Amino acid sequence: MPAAPPAKGARKAPRFIAGPLWLTVPALVLLVAVVGYPLLIIVLRSFSEPAWGVQNYVWFFGTPVNLVVLQRTFEVSAWVTLACVISAYPYAYMMTVVGPAMRMLLILCVLVPFWVSGVVRTMAWVILLQDSGVINSLLKWAGLGTVRLIRTQLGVVIGMTQVLLPFMILPLYSVMRGIDLRLVQAARSLGARPSRAFLQVYLPLSLPGVYAGAIIVFILALGFYITPALLGGPRSVLLSTLMQNQVLSLLNWGRGGAMGVVLLVATFVLLALAAPLMRQRHKQGARR
Amino acid sequence: MMKTHDGVSSRARGTWSGVMAAGLAVALSAAPALAQDKPVAGEVKEGALKGKTLTFVSYGGIYQDGQIAALQDFVQKSGVRLLSDGPTEIAKVQAQVESGNVTWDVVDTADFPPYVHCGTLFQKLDMSKLDVSHIPKGQVGECSVPAMNYGVIIMYNKDKYKDNPPKDWKDFFDTAKFPGVRAIDGSGDPVPGLIEQAFIVDGGDVSKMTPADIGKGIAKIKALGPDTIFWKTGAESQQLAESGEADMIMMWTGRAMTAAKNGANYAPVWKNWLVVMDQITIPVGAKDTDAAYALINAYLGKKAQEVLTEKTSYSPINTEAKPKVDDFTAAYLTNTPERVAQGYQYNMPFWVKNYAAAGEKWTELMAGN
Repeated sequence: MPAAPPAKGARKAPRFIAGPLWLTVPALVLLVAVVGYPLLIIVLRSFSEPAWGVQNYVWFFGTPVNLVVLQRTFEVSAWVTLACVISAYPYAYMMTVVGPAMRMLLILCVLVPFWVSGVVRTMAWVILLQDSGVINSLLKWAGLGTVRLIRTQLGVVIGMTQVLLPFMILPLYSVMRGIDLRLVQAARSLGARPSRAFLQVYLPLSLPGVYAGAIIVFILALGFYITPALLGGPRSVLLSTLMQNQVLSLLNWGRGGAMGVVLLVATFVLLALAAPLMRQRHKQGARR
Repeated sequence: MMKTHDGVSSRARGTWSGVMAAGLAVALSAAPALAQDKPVAGEVKEGALKGKTLTFVSYGGIYQDGQIAALQDFVQKSGVRLLSDGPTEIAKVQAQVESGNVTWDVVDTADFPPYVHCGTLFQKLDMSKLDVSHIPKGQVGECSVPAMNYGVIIMYNKDKYKDNPPKDWKDFFDTAKFPGVRAIDGSGDPVPGLIEQAFIVDGGDVSKMTPADIGKGIAKIKALGPDTIFWKTGAESQQLAESGEADMIMMWTGRAMTAAKNGANYAPVWKNWLVVMDQITIPVGAKDTDAAYALINAYLGKKAQEVLTEKTSYSPINTEAKPKVDDFTAAYLTNTPERVAQGYQYNMPFWVKNYAAAGEKWTELMAGN
């Protein structure tokens, strides 16, 4: 590359950049048409129905049930994200250290549920979690009594965690696969205990995967509909259900839109707050 | 989602369709020139809709299959191409009406929508184009005719209550005398009949009900306690009975019948069962209104209604219909004189007027606030 004459390189450079940019046009067109435009309509309607103004937002923040459910939506999403990180991390790590055949099996275990519809998987959880279900039958048989799992927040978190787990495992795995395990060996050879080698070398290097997975899972969880609707009771209704109610049953597109916009803005704010924190910690990790 | 049904008609037609067709042919040949005749339920002119296409929208499953089967004679005779689409979403009707591009010609809706959105989303019907003479009294609306009748009943667990079963809604709301988990319809829209019954049990007088009383009724429902199950779909309610998850379940009769057939040891309470029906409507701005009327008029016919009941177990809305059904289905039909006498009809005009307020309070109940 440095061998090329400078003049020629200068001519070539812009074309080299412009090419890949053009390749994004199909995706951009699709995004603008099927995401951007409807989103714009939703925002507009939230300010224009039934009349121009902010009445839908006044209603949203003036109705206690909305705020309770909004808070609950973020809480449940946070719990699901945490549960996903904890269960996905060792799994993804195992995927990087086992032999090819075992790795294939582990990948298959992640992907197979991915190919099964979320509704089917949720129905399976209904069968497992219900009062007369598999888990409670086993507990009863073991003489431990029964525990209410379905129609509780716990049941919703369990079901959502399972449905969303692949979204955490896959980014984690792709980052962990790139980590040079000799770095951990080097730390060990310099006298670090295994826990210290993990905490100071491996963990910081894997954090980008944790962040990527956590963000995907958290955002998907915020908009989850089927699983909370089937596994939850009234005390675990999430914002998506309230939105559906406003639009489909009350035909109140303005209020439904306002709820969507509030959720979207709240998500952006949270991500904006988390972003610098992540960057900083990532840098620190890299420095060490 | 769309599928055409004109190809399957020969399979779907029953053995007696030949008799029917012959009868129709006689009727038609007797008065071939009278184009402006008064419509007769179940009849359509030979080839009247040749080359035309109608889209019929309903809730899918066995129900919509049964409706399409009931319309096969109409398809054969009129020459129409019948498409079926769904499931019905009032929000989708609204989107079509607002954009001026209405692709749904005849829409099966729940109880309420044609009353709440009469003239705005659904056309006011010209009754001279329909033969409504055999529809049960009081069921024809300004913007709708009934699609079928069914009921909401309490199904109770026979093992749980043994010799002392619940007898009416009062017992349903009495958790002290009748302990056990309750399940109610949480599929979306507020259920006026249930709120009225709750209000009555609470000592209220429905004939003097005010919007503030909606809250009282809902408070009574909420007092059933945190264990109460709000089922989201008919299938879920059926599953609750078959697995024994709930002890008293508010259920649609079709689902109750299927659960009992599948072995659920539950029995129905018929006192003050809630009368409900689906509605048949034409959206505002539908492309070919006359063709839509022809379809509805055929749907209201005696034979069409018999086919519908035999295929779906819902009660017919033609009083002359004599469907041949098994004992299980017969036990859950709601159109017998005995059942008609036990039914409870809620105050439709009140709920239409207070629909938004009821929706708000119902949503709060559903969200556990």
